[in-house]
Amino acid sequence: MFHQFSATAESLSKASSLVLRIGTDAHLYDDPDDVSIGPLLESRFDSEKVDALKRLLALLAQGSDVSQFFPQVVKNVASQSLELKKLVYLYLLHYAEKRQNEALLSINCFQKDLSDTNPLVRAWALRTMAGIRLHAVAPLVLRAITKCARDPSAYVRKCAAYALPKLYDLHHDEDNSSFEELVDILLNDHSPGVVGAAAAAFKSVCPSSLFLIAKSFRRLCEILPDVEEWGQIVLIEILLRYIIARHGIVKESIMFSLSTMSTTPVADGFPTFSGTSGSCQTLVGTTCDVNMITLMCKSYIDGQIECFAQTGCSNSSDDKLDLSLTSSTNDDVVMLLRCTSPLLWSHNSAVVLAAAGVHWIMAPRENIERIIKPLLFILRSCQASKYVILCNLLVFAKAVPPFFSQYYEDFFVCSYDTYQIRALKLEILSIIATESSIPIILQEFQDYVKDPDRRFVADTVAAIGLCAQRLPMVASACLEGLLAITFYESSLSSSSQIDGEAGVLVQAIMSIKAIIKQNPDSYDRVIVQLACNLDRIKIPAARALVIWIIGEYSVIGQIIPKVVPSILNYLAWSFTSEEPDTKLQILNTAAKVLLCAQGADSLAFRKILSYFIELAKYDINYDVRDRAHFIFKFMPHSLMTSSEKDNNSDISQNGRMHHEPGGKILNGKMHSSISSTKSSRIYLPGSLSQIVLHAASGYEPLPKPCSLLNTDLTAGVVNETNDSDISSGSSIEESGSVYDSDHSSISSDDGNESSWLDEEPGVSSIQTSQQASSGRISINNLNLLVEIFFENCSSEPIKNIALKDGESSSSVESSDQVLGESESLLRTANVPPVLSTEEIASLDPGQRVKKLIEIRFPHHLLPLKLVVTCNGKKFSTKLWPDIGYFLKPLSMNTSAFIDHERQLPGMFEYSKRCTFKDHIEKIAPVKDDSSIHSDKIILLSQILTSKVLSNCNVSLVCADIPVSFNIDDASGLCLRFSGELLSNSKPCLISILVEGKFSEPFVLTVKINCEETVFGLNLLNRVAAFLQ
Amino acid sequence: MLEKQMAGHRVDRSICAWFWDYVLSQGGDPSMILPVIASPTHYLFQLFRDGIIFLACTQVEMPPLMGIEFLCRVADVLTDYLGGLNEDVIKDNFVIVYEILDEMMDNGIPLTTEPNILREMITPPNIVSKMLSIVTGKNSNVSANLPDATASCIPWRKTNPKHSSNEVYVNLVEEMDAVFNRDGILVKCEIYGEVQVNSHLPGLPDLTLSFSNPSILYDIRFHPCVRFRPWESDQILSFVPPDGEFRLMSYRVKKLKNTPIYVKPQLTSDAGNCRVNVLVGIRNDPGKAIDSITVQFQLPLCVASANLTPNHGTVNILADKTCCWSIGQIPKDKSPSLSGNLVLEVGLDKLHVFPVFRVGFRIMGVAFSGLQIHKLDVKNTPSEPYKGFRALTRSGEYEVRA
Repeated sequence: MFHQFSATAESLSKASSLVLRIGTDAHLYDDPDDVSIGPLLESRFDSEKVDALKRLLALLAQGSDVSQFFPQVVKNVASQSLELKKLVYLYLLHYAEKRQNEALLSINCFQKDLSDTNPLVRAWALRTMAGIRLHAVAPLVLRAITKCARDPSAYVRKCAAYALPKLYDLHHDEDNSSFEELVDILLNDHSPGVVGAAAAAFKSVCPSSLFLIAKSFRRLCEILPDVEEWGQIVLIEILLRYIIARHGIVKESIMFSLSTMSTTPVADGFPTFSGTSGSCQTLVGTTCDVNMITLMCKSYIDGQIECFAQTGCSNSSDDKLDLSLTSSTNDDVVMLLRCTSPLLWSHNSAVVLAAAGVHWIMAPRENIERIIKPLLFILRSCQASKYVILCNLLVFAKAVPPFFSQYYEDFFVCSYDTYQIRALKLEILSIIATESSIPIILQEFQDYVKDPDRRFVADTVAAIGLCAQRLPMVASACLEGLLAITFYESSLSSSSQIDGEAGVLVQAIMSIKAIIKQNPDSYDRVIVQLACNLDRIKIPAARALVIWIIGEYSVIGQIIPKVVPSILNYLAWSFTSEEPDTKLQILNTAAKVLLCAQGADSLAFRKILSYFIELAKYDINYDVRDRAHFIFKFMPHSLMTSSEKDNNSDISQNGRMHHEPGGKILNGKMHSSISSTKSSRIYLPGSLSQIVLHAASGYEPLPKPCSLLNTDLTAGVVNETNDSDISSGSSIEESGSVYDSDHSSISSDDGNESSWLDEEPGVSSIQTSQQASSGRISINNLNLLVEIFFENCSSEPIKNIALKDGESSSSVESSDQVLGESESLLRTANVPPVLSTEEIASLDPGQRVKKLIEIRFPHHLLPLKLVVTCNGKKFSTKLWPDIGYFLKPLSMNTSAFIDHERQLPGMFEYSKRCTFKDHIEKIAPVKDDSSIHSDKIILLSQILTSKVLSNCNVSLVCADIPVSFNIDDASGLCLRFSGELLSNSKPCLISILVEGKFSEPFVLTVKINCEETVFGLNLLNRVAAFLQ
Repeated sequence: MLEKQMAGHRVDRSICAWFWDYVLSQGGDPSMILPVIASPTHYLFQLFRDGIIFLACTQVEMPPLMGIEFLCRVADVLTDYLGGLNEDVIKDNFVIVYEILDEMMDNGIPLTTEPNILREMITPPNIVSKMLSIVTGKNSNVSANLPDATASCIPWRKTNPKHSSNEVYVNLVEEMDAVFNRDGILVKCEIYGEVQVNSHLPGLPDLTLSFSNPSILYDIRFHPCVRFRPWESDQILSFVPPDGEFRLMSYRVKKLKNTPIYVKPQLTSDAGNCRVNVLVGIRNDPGKAIDSITVQFQLPLCVASANLTPNHGTVNILADKTCCWSIGQIPKDKSPSLSGNLVLEVGLDKLHVFPVFRVGFRIMGVAFSGLQIHKLDVKNTPSEPYKGFRALTRSGEYEVRA
């Protein structure tokens, strides 16, 4: 009957879904290729084109590569139908990077759309144009964004803000100023939506240019509640960073008030928490884990460690510290806190968490409690966010448990929680438990112990142990409960093996062990009880633990020494049937017991131990054999029978010497195990790094307090620093042209594009004098030798100057934190960009040193990051490649050149006109001498050729000299150069056609034929630039 | 699988294969794995909703909640558009899904997430448009004009909605979370409620909603349209509503002392058998009928077979050992009970793990927290609209431990 029903139900649902699917695009998805797409795309009707594109999207969604239709699709970009346009854009964005050359064809259309009257069309055009990622069009996109940033429609301005990061990602060049300018314009927009988008742009384009925020800080705060939710998240973070950089930490906040208090006796306040009468009155009745907060503070703020280390030992540096502090009455701080507090009521849990983060860091400690309720409220959203919020709450709870102690109810586990959430809740519960709440919490834990998820039960047992350690008052009650669990579990595991039960048992004994360790003397009965039940405990790891406890506390109290011999006898009886782990522990325990034993027992113990050693020496497991030998060698004295000892007093002397290390090794008190590395890693609240517990790439701690100086604010662009203070190294990141000459930095010689070119002959000459065989650019691997002059312009000597590759050094740094994960893996594949670096020990004032380094550029548009270190400080700089280096000469004759030219027509050919007037002063002196007018043309050719050759690594093919009757006319002169790309040996042809008279500036037409369109276009711009 | 590349740096599809391997290695249940995963190349955020996995990846630092919250929003919007969420509807409407995703996110930054505006930009599929597309062969679900609201300072509202109706409904929907421990003591009881508003008002109406007992609200969260100031000063909700349905406010009421129904499970086990007896009854009559009562629990793994009979309603035992007892309404004359016997696996004498009973119910017409709407004022409308109020209480995380 059920079968029939289910069959009809199935057919019914099928039928109903069929009905529902009529009119949808289902048929397109199911069978995208049932008609040929090509002709549809060529159709005259928009509807057919739409159909074709939907099919393409379906294929794309299913993972197939449909880029072969690219040219046909691109043609449709000019369509008037919006739906068609939208679909074309979707397709285009997906494949543009793959088919760069064809994508260039669409640029014209976008530019036309940008001046459309419909704002939606303008916005789409801008979004797509910025999204297609072509280096060649980057300048066009920048122009488009600049235009759209002043668009009357807020939506278009918003899209302009969103386009900025795309462009920046594609091509961030020498100066950021144009980007910064745009961000500035957009941040000052009156529409909240645009401000939100601008905040996102700010974060990805110029996150360190906090001075941009300075002038509009108050306005941004006021507008914050009106910004849309996603923008709020980013804007809150930016404002927080600004406040820290501008005013420093708030004196009354927990971060400061507690981390500097570590010298006071409250240092280990919470573990011995006893009511509200803490030793520190300033804490307003709450105690906190100061170590935790200090650690947190260090992790949040960049370079804060030294600052607090100083105050920790003395108060003499107080005035210095005050510089980086501000009070909670600071207007800006009050403003930020006031404007973020309504956001704690936001619908969006990410906004709530971000706002709570600001309060956590900045708010005076009395006011922090207001963030707790909203944080607990957002716990009731989807499981995924629950996990993230709990991860953050855990850190807060660890730092200041009293804030949460009254909210324990919210952390009770319910059956809908996943395992990870339960584990987090347990951890928080065990941290926030207080004397008043612990009975209820323990009651709750008792329920958890019966949960079907045994992994969770094991965690609960561990949490009980933690609570007992934290609150000694309940320790004995906890211990009783744990013992009950132990006996129950041990009886259970004897009857049947069920997954996870073993874990519970082991964890129970571990918790017992931890509790006993705190006060072994009062728990001797517990140890005896455990020992007596040893035969019922079957799980090897659990047995080993019990045996360890017996060995460790064998002399404590009255009862234990009495039962130890019988336990050892029992173990001697069962030794052969034990697992290796247990055997090892039995050996240790027997040795330990013997070392502690006095009087009559020692003889019996000695016998038992030698019996164990005899057995263990012939064990199957070599670890056990090793342990037996080890104990035997270290304790020969104790193992000898008394009669032998009398005979060889000589050996007994030796034995006594060995006795010492043996005792030390086995009886040495265990140091508390290193607290788990996980808990010591703290990142900013709400960050991804806090969840994955390593610094994700792009993670930045808060800026250094008060690192944003007033001078920066007035200057607008950060390009000045004091002579004495090099520490604000961020300024050196600018391009070479803005370096001040009085700056005591060494970097003024490199990084500058113009000085680059001047150096070039020098580079080649030195190279040839040393090694005639290798050229200026060693072919195939794009290596380049650069001559660098280090000159000390300051008045003091500079020590230990070294030049390093910025990328690799940064990756070393990050891998320290990341434990060598993803990114370092990615980088090792590449050859290091800088091949040779030598350190200069010292440089006196005015001294000049020349160094050669070998460099490899990754891309013709991307700079190479270098780090100069001196006096232990780091300055980063960038070296910009010149596109001319990415070519090598390719010799060919004129006919071959023309052949090649013919093979690269259409989109592979581009030209640009420019004016040329260098000849006027150079040729002017010979102007009178009309008899050698043909030489004038040769002279001109020479000037042009040398110009090209000194900038591009190409060879001259031919120079067509025109047959002309007018001596003053050079029209028709044509110079041809050829080269090939280093990366893939594709030919690249340059022709320069001259028009005009000698007396006037010439008009040059530069034409480049190259298959690599992007490279070609960039080269064209470069050639035109240097000819002008 | 649908894929939308957001940022310029393309993410290879192979990350999905990695994800599946990871899911399988973690036990194969996508609802049980971590929401934030660090894969060798990317950080993944995942959301599992109605059998669909939403996956987002990033290589750089970003607030993870932002990612998850956005995925939730995408899921909400898709559910809203497609009238449900399953593989088939997504396949059937893949073009719309692509278009929505494109509008919702730009280069990894959320763009337009407000459902009102999205609806104007991309028309949701409905019967009329489907029929039209069949008849005329044409369909365009992309609007030709930019919604004006994107420029206004109230981005959540269409500027000039036209309605034949002039009405506003306010719905109090409350979910009750309660936990009873093994001794039958109420450990935790709180209500999570939402004020849902469905407004169809012309022009730019300005609404004010006040409660007669706002002091019982323990904690609140607002829709962006709510002005903060009036709430801070007078605890009045003042807002310009979006058009259509939305969640105006959500709140929590804590420390409730009683629950509408009781569930008393008893399990006694000996000699490989376990007697089960579950009693359900009304503890606190809310004055309205309690319906759709269900009791659900997971039989422990060590149970070999089960024989359960109710004296009212039906019992279903599913393949994954979930036991569902649907009661419906409690009859007048008897109190429903479920009794039976569980046979444990061989070798087990007693039951050592106990199931948790999840209880479901629904009470129409009552807000169990006692929250009452005082009045709703509508200003700025041409004529006085029709106002409707409703309330509903249903069970949330309501569980009884045996």
